[in-house]
Amino acid sequence: MTDGVHALAPPRGGLLKRIVPRLTPSAALLALPILGFLAFFFFYPAINLLLFSLLTQDAKGVVGRPFTLAHYIRFFEVDLYFRVFWNTLRISLITSALAIVLGYPVAIVMSRSGAMVMRIITLIVIAPLIVSVVVRSYGWQLILVNSPNGLLNWLLMSLGIIGSPLAILYSQTAVIIGSLHVFFPMMVLPLASALGKIDPNLEDSARTLGAPWWKVFTRITLPLSLPGLVAGFTLVFSLTAGSFVTPVILGGTTATMLGNLIEQQIFVVYDWPFGAAIAVVLVFVVFAINTVSMRLLEGRRLRSVQR
Amino acid sequence: MSGRLSGPGAWALYFITAMMMVFILAPLIVVIAMSVSDSYFVSFPPQGFTLRWYVKILQDRDFLDALRLSALLALCTTIGSLLLGVPAAIALTRGNFVGQDFLKGLVLSPLIFPALVTGLALMQLLAGLGFTDARFNLLIGHIVVTVPYVIRAVVTSLMLVDLNLEDAARTLGAGRLRTFWRITLPQIAPGVAAGSLFAFMVSFDNYPVTMWLANSEYSPVPLVLMRQLVNVFDPSVPAMSTVIIILAVIGVLILERLVGLRRAATV
Repeated sequence: MTDGVHALAPPRGGLLKRIVPRLTPSAALLALPILGFLAFFFFYPAINLLLFSLLTQDAKGVVGRPFTLAHYIRFFEVDLYFRVFWNTLRISLITSALAIVLGYPVAIVMSRSGAMVMRIITLIVIAPLIVSVVVRSYGWQLILVNSPNGLLNWLLMSLGIIGSPLAILYSQTAVIIGSLHVFFPMMVLPLASALGKIDPNLEDSARTLGAPWWKVFTRITLPLSLPGLVAGFTLVFSLTAGSFVTPVILGGTTATMLGNLIEQQIFVVYDWPFGAAIAVVLVFVVFAINTVSMRLLEGRRLRSVQR
Repeated sequence: MSGRLSGPGAWALYFITAMMMVFILAPLIVVIAMSVSDSYFVSFPPQGFTLRWYVKILQDRDFLDALRLSALLALCTTIGSLLLGVPAAIALTRGNFVGQDFLKGLVLSPLIFPALVTGLALMQLLAGLGFTDARFNLLIGHIVVTVPYVIRAVVTSLMLVDLNLEDAARTLGAGRLRTFWRITLPQIAPGVAAGSLFAFMVSFDNYPVTMWLANSEYSPVPLVLMRQLVNVFDPSVPAMSTVIIILAVIGVLILERLVGLRRAATV
């Protein structure tokens, strides 16, 4: 497992099985620097944050004991906060669902086309990935502006399709559009790589045997590309749930998400324990989605082995 | 060739794909178009053609300082991520010890953790320790989020290295370090380069970690741009955005030269 390529080499016999001792347990030492670094700057602060969310902040802003679950209770009891939680889940779910529906056609075309088309599509899908989220959300702001000065309204009004400007900006719809744009590559890339591994003969023979396209898709393409689908869904959902920039630029005050709430609690309200509690809720949401997806894939693999 | 798309369904697929390509490119093209608009407000349609917004931002101290800071930060982040990530990748591929898969999960875990929370937790720690130099804090935070990319890229290319070459070098008397330097490194160079470039770009664009660790004195490009979005309404904002888009396009082209886009995408 550790040296997959090596396993393909012809086996060496007897005493000379390993002519050169490979780096084995001592190689673990090479991982010590990164482990130390992450332990101190990632794992420790993360656990600390969890602890913080269970502490009390007094009137002077000093955080300390007693331990309490009050912040979590407040979060789920106060309608305002709970709505932000619900909005975050909704926006993430709709964004990832749209990414699946629109990602499949793109990934299928990508994996079944000639080299040239594939290259162009890959380039277009990947290029924006590296452009700052701030720039991309700003681009959508320019398109969706609620006055006749926005691209979309200007276009639709010039064509006479609408009489008065649409008000899409500063709504959840705008955040979903922006998030879909920002995280679309995270769906297409795993999907395309999963689709690329499917033997085209399978689909061809199904078609020759008279299966209509939807049956070919649901019985062959979909099940075989499920790992890519689940990976893409998990990525898009987690990243959307944790976003901050897109809801600020495109959502305004109507589409506040968990990330914005955390920032407000820390930078504006200075309520550290409550901010930490919301952060823990966000982490929990992301972990839950990851765990469910992994279970889903493992369960499937197990079933196919038993069969 | 089999597996090619055909029939009426194929046209639907091509149509949706084309629409999505427009969807992906539209906001970027709009930004670029507005950056040369000869008007005092960003409004559609753009008017005339001018480069004066570029002249304006190239005299804007805040923007230039931010560019310099972001470039330097991304460079230091990349070096730090390489120093920590390459040895880790070797341990993960060449080692043979208990808990290797667990270790892999650990070092890649910053990838699935919400970056916003990573930044918040780190800010809390560093503030508690009295670390007030935003440049240092940003460097630490950026290494945490970029090092998994370097590890993943280097692990992938280490798996493809011909181990017999390493064996041969060792039997011929080369030490471990020399073997790595002369035999292994040249073979994994594209992976290391791709990982470095990815780390550089992720650091350059990072917002969710940066927002916690920067201060008013040291603000990287994304933060400055975000501030401008709220306060400035002339086309200098699209001009700054266009500069960022151009830098990204250069990055993508280098990436394609180095490793090919399909492979880079799996990084």
